[in-house]
Amino acid sequence: MEPRQLIETLAVAALFAPLFSAACIILATRRVMFKSAGVLATGVMAGGFVCSVVALVTWLGLDDTSPIVTNIGWIPIPGSEAGWLYLGVLIDSLTVAILAMVTGISMLVHLYSIGYMDGDPRYNRFFGYLSLFTFSMLGIVLANSLLMLFVFWELVGLTSYLLIGFWFEKRGPQLACKKAFVMNRIGDMGFLVGFGILFAKLGGNILLPAVHGGMFDAIRAAVEAEGYSMANPPMWLTMAGIGVFFGAIGKSAQFPLHTWLPDAMEGPTPVSSIVHSATMVAAGVYLTARIYPILTPGAHLFIATIGLITLVMAACMALVMTDIKRVLAYSTLSQLGYMVLGLGAGAYSFALFHLITHAFFKCCLFQCSGSVIHAAHHQQDMRYYGGLGRKMPITMICYGICTLAIAGASLPFTSIGISGFYSKDGIIAGTVNYGVAMQSLGSWGNLFWIGPTVVAYITVFYMARSFALTFLGEPRDKHLHEHAHEVPWTMTLPQVCLAIMAVIAATLPFLKLIEVSEPAIGGEAVAWMQPTEALGDAHNPGMHATHAYLLHGLGWIIMLVLGVVMYRPGMKYAEKIAAIPGINLLYHWAHNKFFFDELYDTIAVGVCKLAATIIALIDKYLVDGMVNLAGWVTRQLADAVGLFDQRVVDGAVNGAAAMATSGGQILRSTQTGRVRAYVLFLFASATVVTLVVVTVVLVSP
Amino acid sequence: MEASLLNWMIFTPTIGALLCLIVPGKQQARWVALISSIVTFLFSVELVIAYYGLSAGGVQFETAVPWIAGINAFYRTGVDGLSMPLVLLSTALSILIVLASWRIEKATKAFMALYLLLLTGMLGVFLSLDMFLFYVFFEISLLPMYFLIGIWGGPRKEYAAIKFFLFTLAGSICLLIVMLGLFFLTGKAVGASGNTWVMVSSDPGTLTLQSEAVRALFAMDDGAYWGFAQWAFWLTLIAFAIKLPMAPLHTWLPDAHVEAPTPISMILAGVLLKMGGYALMRITYPFFPDAARYFWVAVAVLAVFGILYGAMCAMAQTDWKKLVAYSSVSHMGYVTLGIAVMTRTGFDGAYYQMIGHGISSAMMFFLVGVVYERAHHRDLDRFGGLWLKWPGYGGWSLIGFFAGMGLPGLCGFIGEIMVLLGTFEAAAIGNVGATSQATVYTLGILAASAVVLTAGYILWMFQRVYMGNEKPEYGEFAALTGREYFIMGTLGIAALVFGILPILVFNLTDPTFTSIMAILGIGG
Repeated sequence: MEPRQLIETLAVAALFAPLFSAACIILATRRVMFKSAGVLATGVMAGGFVCSVVALVTWLGLDDTSPIVTNIGWIPIPGSEAGWLYLGVLIDSLTVAILAMVTGISMLVHLYSIGYMDGDPRYNRFFGYLSLFTFSMLGIVLANSLLMLFVFWELVGLTSYLLIGFWFEKRGPQLACKKAFVMNRIGDMGFLVGFGILFAKLGGNILLPAVHGGMFDAIRAAVEAEGYSMANPPMWLTMAGIGVFFGAIGKSAQFPLHTWLPDAMEGPTPVSSIVHSATMVAAGVYLTARIYPILTPGAHLFIATIGLITLVMAACMALVMTDIKRVLAYSTLSQLGYMVLGLGAGAYSFALFHLITHAFFKCCLFQCSGSVIHAAHHQQDMRYYGGLGRKMPITMICYGICTLAIAGASLPFTSIGISGFYSKDGIIAGTVNYGVAMQSLGSWGNLFWIGPTVVAYITVFYMARSFALTFLGEPRDKHLHEHAHEVPWTMTLPQVCLAIMAVIAATLPFLKLIEVSEPAIGGEAVAWMQPTEALGDAHNPGMHATHAYLLHGLGWIIMLVLGVVMYRPGMKYAEKIAAIPGINLLYHWAHNKFFFDELYDTIAVGVCKLAATIIALIDKYLVDGMVNLAGWVTRQLADAVGLFDQRVVDGAVNGAAAMATSGGQILRSTQTGRVRAYVLFLFASATVVTLVVVTVVLVSP
Repeated sequence: MEASLLNWMIFTPTIGALLCLIVPGKQQARWVALISSIVTFLFSVELVIAYYGLSAGGVQFETAVPWIAGINAFYRTGVDGLSMPLVLLSTALSILIVLASWRIEKATKAFMALYLLLLTGMLGVFLSLDMFLFYVFFEISLLPMYFLIGIWGGPRKEYAAIKFFLFTLAGSICLLIVMLGLFFLTGKAVGASGNTWVMVSSDPGTLTLQSEAVRALFAMDDGAYWGFAQWAFWLTLIAFAIKLPMAPLHTWLPDAHVEAPTPISMILAGVLLKMGGYALMRITYPFFPDAARYFWVAVAVLAVFGILYGAMCAMAQTDWKKLVAYSSVSHMGYVTLGIAVMTRTGFDGAYYQMIGHGISSAMMFFLVGVVYERAHHRDLDRFGGLWLKWPGYGGWSLIGFFAGMGLPGLCGFIGEIMVLLGTFEAAAIGNVGATSQATVYTLGILAASAVVLTAGYILWMFQRVYMGNEKPEYGEFAALTGREYFIMGTLGIAALVFGILPILVFNLTDPTFTSIMAILGIGG
C-alpha cells in the first residue's frame, strides 16, 4: 500500500477501534460479557495504539508531508460554494503526534481500570463508556472541519458526563456530571456563535486545517472583499475567533468556566487520569491550535489573558487543597493555563508540546493518586496519609518522577532536563517575546512572562508538598497505614510506563512533528499578527534551540526542598503560617476556590431558576389566564344574548311565546356544550372580518 | 398506478376505522388498527421508492377530480419533497402508536377507529394539493383528536380537549378568512380555469410551487396586492403558529399533552405539530413572500422568544410530562426561526428539525408514559434511581432525551445546528432586507444560548428521575414488556439513523426546496 494511504487507513482503524469495542460491550448482555469487557476494550485499544504508532513511524519516513485530507459530504448546503458541510479525516504531523499520545494513554488507562474497577457492579459498562470516550476524542483529533470537530466535541461532553456520573447513586457524582456538561455547553454556545459567523462569511467552507487549502484562504478572500486586510482584520473575525475559543474555555476548563474540572474528581480515578491528560481538557488546546491562523491579534490577546489568569489562580488553589486529587486537579488547570497562554502568546509548538508531555506525567500522577486512594480505603485527604512510600514503593517512585517532570526539573545551569522542563521553558520563552512585543500594553505586558515564571516555582512547591504529605514522614493514621499495600500489576505497570514516558518524551520526535505543523512559520498565515517584527522572534526557527533561562539554576531545587521540609511532618507548619493575619485571609479565599462556586450557584443558577419559575408562573396565570378569560367572557356574552333572546325578542313576539320559550329552552340546553357557542361566534366574526378586509382591499386605491 | 396508491394510502386508515367499529371484540379492533397502519406504511414505502426513482423534483403522482364545481374545489392530491418525508414519518410512527395503545381498555374499538380517522386527516393534510381539500383535512384531523383527549384523557380532560379544539379552530378561521379573500380577489383571473385552490402550478415551465391564484395576486396592482398580502401573511401565520405551536399561542399544548393518554401525546407531538410547520412552508411563505421578507424580524423575534420561553418554562416544571411538553414549544421555536430567516440552510434546518423532533418527542413521551403507567404519578421529585431499576430502559432514555437535547449523532442535532447556521447566514446574504448585521447576530446568539438552557432542564430531569438509588415502591412495578422495548428500540434506532444520515431526508427534499427558495426570491 502506498504509505500515505496506509497512514490514513491506520488512523481510521485507530479511530473506529474503540467504537467497535464500545458497541460490543454496550450491546452484549451482562451474562455474555462482564469480566471479559475489560480485556476486550484494553486489547482493542492496544490495537489502536499499534496502528497509530505505525502511522507515526510511516509519517516520519514520508517525503511529502502535506496534510492527508479526505472530505466526505455530510449535510448538503445547496447554493454555497462548498456545497456541503464535510466530515472526514485530516492527517498532518500534529495529528499523528496527538493520535499516538491519545491512543497510548487511553490504552494504559484501560489497563489500569481493569485493576481499579475490579468488583464494581457495572464493571463492563465502565469499559464501554471509556472506549466511547476515547472514540470521541480521536474524532476530534482527526477532524477535518469545524463541524466534525463540534460533533465529536459534544460527544466528548456526553461521554464525560457518563463517566463522571458513573457512580450515579451518590449525590456528588450526580451534581458533578451535570455541572461538567452544563459548563461545557456554555462554552459550546460560544463555539456555535463563532461557527455561525464563520459559516455565514465562508458559505460552508469551514475546513481544517486553517491553512493549506482549508478555510484560511476563504477567510482572506472574505476579509479583503470587505476592504480589510489580514493585518487589519475586521471585527467579525476577532469575534469568530474568540467565539470558537470559548468552546476551548469550557472543555479545557479555563477561567471563568473552570469550576467543573475539580468537581469532576467525583468520577472514578481512571476517568480523572484520562480526562486530565490526553482527552477532554486536551481537546480545547487542540481546537485552539487548529484555528490558530485565523486568530486575530485581538483574539490572541484575549486567549493569552485567559491563560494567564487561569494559571495563576489555579496554582494558588493547588497550594492549599488537602484532597490529593484536588491538588492534582488544580495543577491541571494551571498547566492548561500554560498551554493556552502559550498559544495566545504565539508559542504554538511548545504549547502543544506541553500538551503531550503534560499528558504523560499528569496521567501518571492521577494513576498514582488512584493507587494511593485504592490502598487507603478511599480516603483522599492527605492529612491522613504520611509514610505511605514504605508500603507502596513503586507508586512513590512513579509519583516522584512525575513530580519532577511537572516541576520542569533540569540539571542546574544546563539545558538537560526531563520532558516538562523543555516544554514549559519553551512556553515561558514565548511569553517573554510576547510581553516585550505587546508595547501597546506598556509595562503590563511583562505580566505575561512574570506570571508563568513565578507559577513555575509555585508548581514545584505544591507538588513537593503533596509528595511529602503522602509518601514521606510518619504515618498520621495508623489504621490506614497498616492496611495500605502496593496495588496489583495491572495498575503499577501503566504507572511505570507513563513515568518512563514522562522522562523521555522530549527525546521522542514529538516536538519535531509539532514544529512542522506550525502554520507557515514566519509566513503569510501569521505574518499579519501584530506587532509583526517583535513576534517574528517568537516564530524564528532559531529560537527553538534556545531557552528562556528562567527555569535554570537552583531555584526549583530550593522550592522542592522547601516543600519537602515543610510538609514532611504534616500540616503543622502550614497551619501556623495560615494563621498569620493577612495570609489567613488569602488562605481562606484560596481554600474556598475564590468563591466561584458560590458565585455561580447564587448568581447564574439561582437567577436562571428564579427566572424559570417566574416565567412559568406568568405562563400559567397571565398567558393562560387571558385565554381562560376570553373563554369566560364569550360564555357570559352568550348567556346575555340568550337572555336577550328570551326576554326581549320573545317578549316582542307574544303570540309565539309558548313555542319560542320551549324552543329557546331546547336550544339553550343544546348549547351547554361551549364549543358550539364558540363556533357560532367565531364564524360570525370571521365573516364580518372577511367582508371588512375584502371591502377595504377593493375600495382602497 | 402510484397516484392511486397515494389515495389508497390516505383512505386505508378510514377503511380500517370502519372495520374497527364492526368487529366484535377489543382484540380484533387492535389487530385491525395495527394491520391497517402497517398497510398504510407499506404503501408509503412503495411510494417513496417510486419517488426516489424519479429525477424530476416537482409534484408527483397527482390526482385531480372535480369535487364542488361551484367554488372550483377539486379533490387534488400529490406528493413532493416537502410532503414525502413527513408522510413517511406519520405512517411509520402510526404503527408504533397503535402498539403503544395496545393496553387501552376503555372503549377500545372507538379509540382505534378515531385514531385511524386521525391518521387519514394527517395524511390528507400532507398530501392534498388543493387548498380547499387541505382545509377539510386540517379540520378532519382536529375532531378525532378532540375526542381522543376528551374521552381517554386524564382528570382535566374536558378542559384540555375544548381548549385544544378552540385554539386550533381559531387558527382554522384565520385560514378560512384568507381563503375567502383569495377566492374573491382572484376569482376573475383564475376562476375560469378552475384552478382557484391549486397550491401548485399546473403550468409546465413555471415554478411548481407557485399557484395560479398567487400569480394572479402578484399581477394585481401594488397597493391592492400589498394590502392583502400583509393581512393574509399574518392570518395564515397565526393559523399555523397555533398548531406549531409558537409562543405565546402555545398554552393549549401543555394542557393537551398532560391530559392526553401516552399514544395520543406521541402522535400530537410527533406529527400533528408538524402540520403547522409544513403549512408555513407550503402556504404562508410561498404565497406571501414579500410580506414574509418585510416582517421577517418580527417573526424571528417571536421564534427566538418561543425557544427561550419554552426552555425556561420546561425548567420550572415538576410534572415530567409537562416538562417534555414545554420542550416541544422550545424545539418548535427552531422550526419557526429557520423558516423566518428565509435562508436555504434555515429552511432545510427547520424541516429537519421537524423530522428530528417527530422522532425524539414521540420517544420522550413514550418514555414518560412507560413509567406513568406503573407509578401513576409524574412528579419529578418523587422519582430517582430508575436507571438502576431498569438499565436497558435507562439506556434508551439516554438516547431519547439526548436526542431532544440536540446531541450530535442523534436526530435533534442536525436541525438545530442548521437553523442556527442559517440564522447567521441571514446576516451575510442580506436577502432579508436592510436589517443590520447586529440584529441577526443578536438573534443568533440568543438562539444559541438556548442550548445551555436545554442541557440544564434535560440534565436536571435526568438526575432527578434516573440517577440516585431505587425507591422502595419500584418493587411493585411490572417488568418492561417486549412490546415496550420494541417501541423504544425502534424510535431510538431511528434517532441514531437520522442523526447520522441526514442525506436520507435531504435527498427527498432538495428539488422542492430549491423551487421554494426561487419563489422566495433567494438563490439556491
